[in-house]
Amino acid sequence: MYDFIRGPFAWAALIIFVIGTIFQLVRYFSLSKKAGIVHYKTIPAQKTPESAVQLPFMARVKLTILGVSPVTVITSTVFHVLLIITPIFLVAHGVLTDVAWGFSIPAFSEGFSDFLTIVVMICGAYFLLRRIFSARVRAITTLYDYIIWVIAFAPFITGFMAYHHMFNYNVMITLHIFFGGLMLIAIPFTKLVHMFYFFINRFLMKSEHTFGKGSRTW
Amino acid sequence: MAEQTTAPVNTDEIKSILDKHKDQVKLSLKLCAHCTLCAESCFLFHVKDKDPRYMPSHKFINSIGKLYKKKGNVSRKTLEEISEIVWRKCVLCTRCYCPFGIDIPKMIALARQICRSQGVVQQFDKE
Ligand code: HEM
Ligand code: HEM
Ligand code: SF4
Ligand code: SF4
Repeated sequence: MYDFIRGPFAWAALIIFVIGTIFQLVRYFSLSKKAGIVHYKTIPAQKTPESAVQLPFMARVKLTILGVSPVTVITSTVFHVLLIITPIFLVAHGVLTDVAWGFSIPAFSEGFSDFLTIVVMICGAYFLLRRIFSARVRAITTLYDYIIWVIAFAPFITGFMAYHHMFNYNVMITLHIFFGGLMLIAIPFTKLVHMFYFFINRFLMKSEHTFGKGSRTW
Repeated sequence: MAEQTTAPVNTDEIKSILDKHKDQVKLSLKLCAHCTLCAESCFLFHVKDKDPRYMPSHKFINSIGKLYKKKGNVSRKTLEEISEIVWRKCVLCTRCYCPFGIDIPKMIALARQICRSQGVVQQFDKE
């Protein structure tokens, strides 16, 4: 069992992640169309009356989602940045790429990585508590959301426990690789696809909320 | 109130409307992180004392989401419940904001179209 998870499973996870990603992108481009040129009907510009006041900068920030839900948006930003950075610049993972492909990625010190892992776990705790105790989040939460939570945070929790040799190291590291692989497999096929579709939706799909012009449509 | 009729629901018709927009509906439902950040962007949510049922995501999950999950196999009663949501709880002002750019108004408009195709509409002029 240990050998299976550490060997074929970990590789399979990596391969499924890559293939799943390619599959999602191919599917996206085959299902969506090139957006036609839209001729916007323009309303003749009106002169801004002299008396109109431009809202001060901070008042405008208050109207964005950052201003409306500051704690969630900041926690989320910290979480997402660390989610990507922490595992990549990790001494132990660098050793793995070194063994497998002969290159190692520069790494943070072990202590610093450990600290980042703790920060990620705190963000995870925040998301979990919010899901349990905030009425509005609970209103649209299903079992699926909790499963995704486990998939997203278990690699960090088990990696942390393995690093600190809690319980049995062999068991923990095997669990860690299992959950790490599970996350990679889940990204293209669950709501975690938002990793790609966030960018697709906001930069490619033509809509009111596109950054830039947007070139594709459904 | 919804107009009362007893005609059977034409599941195939609902399905064909759903199929036409399947890609976008499926993706929107899958993509929604259930994060509730869209709540405050809806003025009705504020007006109704932050009742979670007025969150844009709650509205599209329980209208088009329900229709999609049941593949159009819904009873007239369910359609009437959905019409309560898509006409009474949303005015399609299109001001809702989702960080993923999910087109929530389009989803709600689609649920309206499906209700309308089955003759389930809200009458505002008879009250
Ligand atoms: C599937 C492939 C993976 C393998 C083979 C693997 C392997 C390892 C190993 C050997 C360690 C070191 C434990 C120690 O220091 O003794 C580790 C730590 C760690 N891993 Fe992974 N890992 C994988 C995937 C992931 C993923 C996908 C994530 C997160 C997104 C992740 C996050 C971490 C973290 C945060 C630590 C360090 C915890 C700490 O220092 O406190 N790993 N991993
Ligand atoms: C790299 C590109 C990514 C972007 C731009 C992105 C963006 C977002 C946004 C805008 C939200 C909704 C707001 C929130 O609840 O914080 C969100 C939620 C979430 N993301 Fe990501 N994400 C990315 C990748 C990932 C990955 C790779 C994972 C996990 C493996 C992940 C896990 C989550 C989780 C679990 C939530 C829901 C938090 C909750 O329970 O409310 N994200 N993401
Ligand atoms: S902001 Fe978007 S992803 Fe979050 S709950 Fe609303 S519709 Fe879903
Ligand atoms: S379109 Fe509907 S859900 Fe969106 S902000 Fe307007 S009333 Fe609210």
